[in-house]
Amino acid sequence: MTATNTDTPLLERRYARLGVLLIAPTVVVFSMVIVYPLLAAIYLSLFSIYTPTLEGDFVGAANYAELLTGGDFWRSLGTTLIWTVGTLTLQIVFGVGMALLLHQNLWFRSLARSLVLFPYFISTVVAVLVWRWLFNDLYGALNHGLMQLGIIDMPLDWLGSMPNAMIGIILVGAWKYFPFVVIAVLARLQTIPDHLYEAARIDGAGPIARFWDVTLPQLRSVLVVIILLRAIWDFKEFDLIFLLTGGGPVTSTQTLALLVYQEAFALNNMGQAAAYSVGMMLVMLAFMLIYIRRTGREG
Amino acid sequence: MTQKSLKSPAMPRRAVLAGLAAAGAATAMPHRIRAQETITLRWWSPQSSPEQLAAYETQMRNFEAQHENVRVVFERTSDEGYAPQLAAAFASGEVPNIVTHLPSFAVSNYWRNGLLEPFNDVIEMVGPEKFYEGANKIYEIDAGQYAGTGIGNSAANMFWVRRDLMEQAGIDKIPETWDELRAAAQAMQGGGIFGAPLPYGRNSMTSLVFICFIHGAGGQVFTPDLQVAIDSDETRNALEFYRAMRELCPPGATNYSWGESLTAFVSGATATGLYTGRVLINVQNQNPGIADQITCRLYPTISADVGPWTFNDFPSVFIPKDAQNMEATKQFAAFLFDPEGYIQQLHAAPGHVLPVLQTISADPAYQNNPIIQKYTDEVELMSAAAAGGFNLGWETAEHTPNTKAGEIIGSNVISEMVQRVVLNDEDVDTVLGETAARIEEIMAT
Repeated sequence: MTATNTDTPLLERRYARLGVLLIAPTVVVFSMVIVYPLLAAIYLSLFSIYTPTLEGDFVGAANYAELLTGGDFWRSLGTTLIWTVGTLTLQIVFGVGMALLLHQNLWFRSLARSLVLFPYFISTVVAVLVWRWLFNDLYGALNHGLMQLGIIDMPLDWLGSMPNAMIGIILVGAWKYFPFVVIAVLARLQTIPDHLYEAARIDGAGPIARFWDVTLPQLRSVLVVIILLRAIWDFKEFDLIFLLTGGGPVTSTQTLALLVYQEAFALNNMGQAAAYSVGMMLVMLAFMLIYIRRTGREG
Repeated sequence: MTQKSLKSPAMPRRAVLAGLAAAGAATAMPHRIRAQETITLRWWSPQSSPEQLAAYETQMRNFEAQHENVRVVFERTSDEGYAPQLAAAFASGEVPNIVTHLPSFAVSNYWRNGLLEPFNDVIEMVGPEKFYEGANKIYEIDAGQYAGTGIGNSAANMFWVRRDLMEQAGIDKIPETWDELRAAAQAMQGGGIFGAPLPYGRNSMTSLVFICFIHGAGGQVFTPDLQVAIDSDETRNALEFYRAMRELCPPGATNYSWGESLTAFVSGATATGLYTGRVLINVQNQNPGIADQITCRLYPTISADVGPWTFNDFPSVFIPKDAQNMEATKQFAAFLFDPEGYIQQLHAAPGHVLPVLQTISADPAYQNNPIIQKYTDEVELMSAAAAGGFNLGWETAEHTPNTKAGEIIGSNVISEMVQRVVLNDEDVDTVLGETAARIEEIMAT
């Protein structure tokens, strides 16, 4: 009995040490790829740094003062929110709609399910080139088609004027990323028990009522995850917007990611860029906390 | 069993130690030996049309043939993308050996920050007497020290026009002033053809081209001692003209950069163009039907009293300070001017990049090109214009070199000014005041 009392803590200590040992690689990798870059960004944001040499002077909170008072950050934050909310809403609407469609017994359903993933699989550069060609004023298929149909007389300037440029990037973003929503929602749809629909039918629920009262509540958990992930990814989207509009006209589509890029590489001011990116991270963190807390409470 | 075999004196301890030492040396030595045996030189350039790539290939293979231990690889960058790529390269220390065709103001900025190897040795190897008079002045940021040299000259804002369309519109004189240009563009516009492909995008082309218009109005962005002078009546006039031209440009010009502007003229979508001599080969290859109708002049100015101002981005060649194998790198940099390869490179886009060596211009092999022979007057005009050209890094011969020019262009402050006035119809005075303040901020950093 006595022996057991003394042996157990020893065993526990050994298990504890083993646990630490087993988790150590994860902690090391996590520190290298997340903690170190984060700390480095915060550190850089306290300096005025010339990007190509990464050398500069300590300026304390001056970069953050510029962030708060300069206006660029807030303008770009507003643009980022418009882009994120706009494209995410369309992704969810198109994604859920397409998933519901592909959940039906259609001919060539497997082929359709494969094809719908196409935009998500192709590289952003290729997708943007195709869309730029479609939007082109002189030889673009979109303007050509609209003119043939008699809807417009002259080619429209899709990417160089507002609000067309913002609408353009939101539409292309929705087209590019809605397949992610389709995959996730379709997977969840296939696990909803049929008896729930049967019960709803017996209660006299039509298709729309069944969607709102059965399907949507069942999709709730997966939609929370989708919105969370896609919001994070869309919030920091860079390549699609940069290649489509470059942030223009003026700064109308210059999101925070593009602002950071311009500050770091066009103006060679890595310190200010790091401050913007830290600010960007804090905003994203705040929104995520609010969102998770609210959805958790409602759940 | 294991212990026993380890203890077994099958091999004496001294021999084992000697073997270990040899193995250690062997693992260390191959790097040095390999480095001596095979050197790889990395060459970056934003100029990479298929014809230019073919010329580079010749230059690289010819150099390799003369230097058995050297391998040269070409890596593309772009006019809009070189800044971040080079920033990352400099910051990481993984720099290319040689960079060509970047504008001179990018070179001066890197030089000012101690990132470049002095180019004096290369210029000596090429032969300073072969260069045009004053060709290297723009690279002499510090007295007696050259940050790089020109690999060519360019006249980027040449005015291209189609004679057939002029004739159809009843225009008998190629425009020399803005009023004449606007009237001609108006007359030639119609039937799916626009007057001009001026850029209104938020990019470097719009900034660089609009600087030409400021000078075309008799103004300047900086005074010779680099005080900001953009808030002027001349800039107001330039903005007014640029706004008036908007309706004569394609709708998508709000997103145009160099490629789109060039294609608009070459494809026949616009009656006039603004570009270097690359127009010649592109028309020849892509739209030969108009090849006999095109010609170029210096870009019109606000009035006959204001002389033309040619934008020469002084396509450069320079060597990053941290480049490996510096001796071979310098030899290759000088080899780029070897007549055989250099002429092929210039012929890749005749009139686009013009020679900086007098000896090449006079070389019959250079003159022996169908495009140069067909457009002799145009090429001569471009050569003369480029020789007297300037850019934001060196606005006039009286100006101090501006090492912040690259950052001003990169910030898009000037193209944003154009967009705010032309597209957003904002108050010109307010926009000009804010633009001047932003440029002053950049100069102060």
